Amino acid sequence: MGPKKLKSVSYAKYGYIFSIPFVLAFLIFTAYPIFYTAVIGFTDLKGLGKTDFKFLENPLQNFEAVWKNPSFQKSLENTAIIWICNFIPQILLALLLTAWFTNQRQKLRCQGAFKVLFYMPNIITAATIAILFNSLFGYPLGPVNDLFQMLGIADGPTEFLRDKWTAKGIISFIQFWMWYGQTMIVLIAGVLGINPALFEAAEIDGATSRQVFFHITLPSLRTIMLFTLVTSLIGGMQMFDIPKLFLNGGPDSATLTVSVFIYNQAFSGSYLYNRAAAACMILFVIIAILSGILFYLLRDKDAGKLKKQMRELKKAQKAARRAEA
Amino acid sequence: MKRILALVLSVAMLFTLAIGISGCGGNEQTPASPDSSAPAQQTSSAPADTSTPAPEVSDDPNVKVLNLWSFTDEVPKMMDKYKEIYKQRTGQDFPYEIKTTIIATTDGAYQPALDQALASGGADAPDIYCVESAFVLKYTQGDAANYAAAYKDLGIDVDRLLKESEIAQYTVDIGTRPSDGKLVGLGYQATGGAFIYRRSIAKDVWGTDDPAVIKDKIGPGWEKFFQAAEEVKQKGYVMLSSDGDLWNPVRNAAEKPWIVDGKLYIDPAREAFFDYAKRLKDNGYSNDTTAWTDAWYADMKDAGPKKVFGFFGPAWLINYVMAGNSGGSKPGEGTYGDWAICEAPVGFFWGGTWVLANKDTKIPKTVGQIIEWITLDSSETGLQYFWANGTLEGPGGTKDTVASGAVMKKSDGKLDFLAGQNMFDVFVPAGEFARGDNMTQYDETINTYFTDQVREYVNGNKTKEQAIADFKQLVADNLDVIVE
Amino acid sequence: MRRESTLVGRTVSKTIKYIVCIFLAILSIMPFWIMMMNATRGTYEIQQNSISLLPSTYLISNFKVFEGKAFNPLVGFKNSLIIAGGATVLGIYFSCLTAYALVAYQWRLRQPFFTFIMAVLMIPAQVSGIGFYQFMYRIGWTNSYLPLILPAIAAPAMVFFMRQYLLGALSIDIVNSARIDGANEFYIFNRIVLPIMKPAMATQAIFAFVGSWNNLFMPMILLTDKAKYTMPIMVSLLRGDIYKTEYGAIYLGLTLTVLPLFIVYFALSKYIIAGVALGSMKE
Repeated sequence: MGPKKLKSVSYAKYGYIFSIPFVLAFLIFTAYPIFYTAVIGFTDLKGLGKTDFKFLENPLQNFEAVWKNPSFQKSLENTAIIWICNFIPQILLALLLTAWFTNQRQKLRCQGAFKVLFYMPNIITAATIAILFNSLFGYPLGPVNDLFQMLGIADGPTEFLRDKWTAKGIISFIQFWMWYGQTMIVLIAGVLGINPALFEAAEIDGATSRQVFFHITLPSLRTIMLFTLVTSLIGGMQMFDIPKLFLNGGPDSATLTVSVFIYNQAFSGSYLYNRAAAACMILFVIIAILSGILFYLLRDKDAGKLKKQMRELKKAQKAARRAEA
Repeated sequence: MKRILALVLSVAMLFTLAIGISGCGGNEQTPASPDSSAPAQQTSSAPADTSTPAPEVSDDPNVKVLNLWSFTDEVPKMMDKYKEIYKQRTGQDFPYEIKTTIIATTDGAYQPALDQALASGGADAPDIYCVESAFVLKYTQGDAANYAAAYKDLGIDVDRLLKESEIAQYTVDIGTRPSDGKLVGLGYQATGGAFIYRRSIAKDVWGTDDPAVIKDKIGPGWEKFFQAAEEVKQKGYVMLSSDGDLWNPVRNAAEKPWIVDGKLYIDPAREAFFDYAKRLKDNGYSNDTTAWTDAWYADMKDAGPKKVFGFFGPAWLINYVMAGNSGGSKPGEGTYGDWAICEAPVGFFWGGTWVLANKDTKIPKTVGQIIEWITLDSSETGLQYFWANGTLEGPGGTKDTVASGAVMKKSDGKLDFLAGQNMFDVFVPAGEFARGDNMTQYDETINTYFTDQVREYVNGNKTKEQAIADFKQLVADNLDVIVE
Repeated sequence: MRRESTLVGRTVSKTIKYIVCIFLAILSIMPFWIMMMNATRGTYEIQQNSISLLPSTYLISNFKVFEGKAFNPLVGFKNSLIIAGGATVLGIYFSCLTAYALVAYQWRLRQPFFTFIMAVLMIPAQVSGIGFYQFMYRIGWTNSYLPLILPAIAAPAMVFFMRQYLLGALSIDIVNSARIDGANEFYIFNRIVLPIMKPAMATQAIFAFVGSWNNLFMPMILLTDKAKYTMPIMVSLLRGDIYKTEYGAIYLGLTLTVLPLFIVYFALSKYIIAGVALGSMKE
């Protein structure tokens, strides 16, 4: 190969080649099953062991049935409430800890140990956590009840897990507690990627830690925050393990999430695969719309920056080519 | 750019469609599922095919493996004993390799896997499979009933053995397939329930702990039970630990199942649970715990706020739950030895395992022999004799009630936990009182919805009418059942 | 004067920070502590009081429960390691590769492909769950590790993370100079780019390994052969049915399940402590 042929065009094919494994795995293990699910949503497939199905005369019948289903509506509401109650404190705490751990002026001791420990709740399985929290909030005897009575907060035992709002609150708390460590790790990674020159400049200008955080760190974290927001939104909309294992959607459907609803449609007795599939697709569309909104809201500046970056990259490649020549 | 993306996606979709079509090809011959719109109805009280004798069956000599599916290791463990007995009886080694597949019922994983294995067939399909009371109806009477082999088609002389072994009727009812009236499943364990009460409290309240007397104090019927609860309360005790304890007998006393002709039906006996649970709570007849939580276990050894008079349950509740939680292991320690059992105000059963065979098994003769040994053999080398006397893995094991009344009558059911009372005296008739004709394959789900709504009412969050309306809505939302 | 008050202010704020951190640390350790204590307690002790901060004396007898059950920790470790290890390695490697394709090359579909990956990221797992499971049955991939390992190749969140990291860490000059030296693209990726990505790989490896190791539902449905059970499946089998649940043994099993995770986690934790710098596209 002569140096003349080392043009960017000749490398472009590697962009395709290196993407092939991802695309193939996606097509086989995700796209095909989704397609299958989507098709089922338009059919009469229900009941056990059935493989033959026919398309419904009204193709949207299942979608309508799910959309108008009071339990589905409630599950959407619950999912939204639980996600918001978990995500807002989660991102706030993660940001606060990020600010503390990346503060160059006031270094905390044992930072490393804290970072490592904060991720740990994520290691333990959801089933274990469900059992432990069930016992913690036991009624009429249980550690939390004992504590409340000891501290004089309550006169008698409280049935936490039968109250709709405490049940939702506890699930939000579990989600918050399991995930803030991971969010913090990702956010710290984002902060470390900010150009140090920005911080140095701020230092020279005499900015306080607070000013640095709000005027440099936060705006620079936009992309990473978007990533966190979107992944957490998707994770939150799919929330299944804890609501299912902890209270099985109860009390009185207060912790019934969309995923638990889908599971119940398919497996709690009637094998309504078609309705479950329709609910899956509705969930997908909702997530796509919400994510789209997030992308749109946080979009403009990024797009500009991206273009600029692409220009820089092209420039660098040109320079490299020139250097080669 | 957007157009290119759209193109990529549509190509991807076409590609997946192609895979889909080629993948779907060879899958048409799976057995047609039974009509799922007709869930379990009341079954005839006895198998209808009493006249035809069991046919001769034979095994495919090319098959060397027997597949056994279960959700615990209980039945797989029995196979070790079976091989031993087989050698004793025939003088030969058991000629098959038994391949056991155990999948826990945790998170509902057992059923999808079993369903798939039954539907797919082939060499790895289960020959014998176990199902639990929570989902047995699906496999004997509901959606998956057509996969099961009739016991008679396995060469088992069902009619003679049922009589000889004195199998409790509710087990037979549950194991009988309504579409052809044939028996397809039986259990080995009897799970008829009794009232398990504290001797010391009985003496304090009524001056005697004699089961014959206490039986008439707490029943028959719920009015007498609540009268007794009031008397127990006067002495500073509570009758029950949780309202969940009451639900098991109430549930089983219904005349008709939850679903009649495809429509939701709330049996008056079950609807009455609203009032019973409310009375229990409002009058302070219970410690207001929830079954299977710490506080409930604590009530078994007097660690709760008030001493609890009794629990409703079958023998397994005594053996596996109460004995261990009594705070002792011999009389005098904790509440161990201070218990007795008597007939419950209404008959009921709770739990149990049914054993089924695949209708496509290649070795029906062997499968039939094993199933007969587990479920219908009332001899002293049959499984149930070992099981009743706790001698399956050598002497000194846990004694348990078994499906065969004949076996229990010749076995020793004396328990130290019950101060020497022979539990079989109560559990044999208890099994006869239980009903197996009022269940559907949806019971587990419907029961959960129902008790959840009853708790809402009892806790004062809803009126009874609202709770019933919400219950109906839940059933309509989640199941393929007509709700009016 | 002013200096003193800021000094006081700093001490106060520092104390508050430590109190919060220590409180959170205790919250993190607590479940593990309770779990390990319960592993040494008897089933009935646990039923009476599930939460205890002190150990008991049933560790040996809990171990004995395993003997009669389908619980073989060594087999479980091995199987879980194959699945979680395989999924992690494949996921990391191919995510890096895809990210590299997105960062280092100029190709026409690059931006659409990135948008496509972000779209894939939005697909909830349940949507493909039902179809996936039936598909695997149809092609006979039950009792195989492949359906649990191979899907990791397409991990959109990981690709995104890697891409962000590469944007900040990859200098195109290094790549170009390697090209001038005659290295081919695969060599450059494997020998030059991958080592640069180590910190990001370690962080994502933790997330991926933990997720795969603890995964229960899909393995439980797909793996029905006893010899192929993973650790979580074995633990769930201990639960058996409601009649006799061996809680002590379950907690012991859970503790054993977590131990390898601890080893992996702490071995890789230096990257979490040091932190990974993600390019934020805001240069």
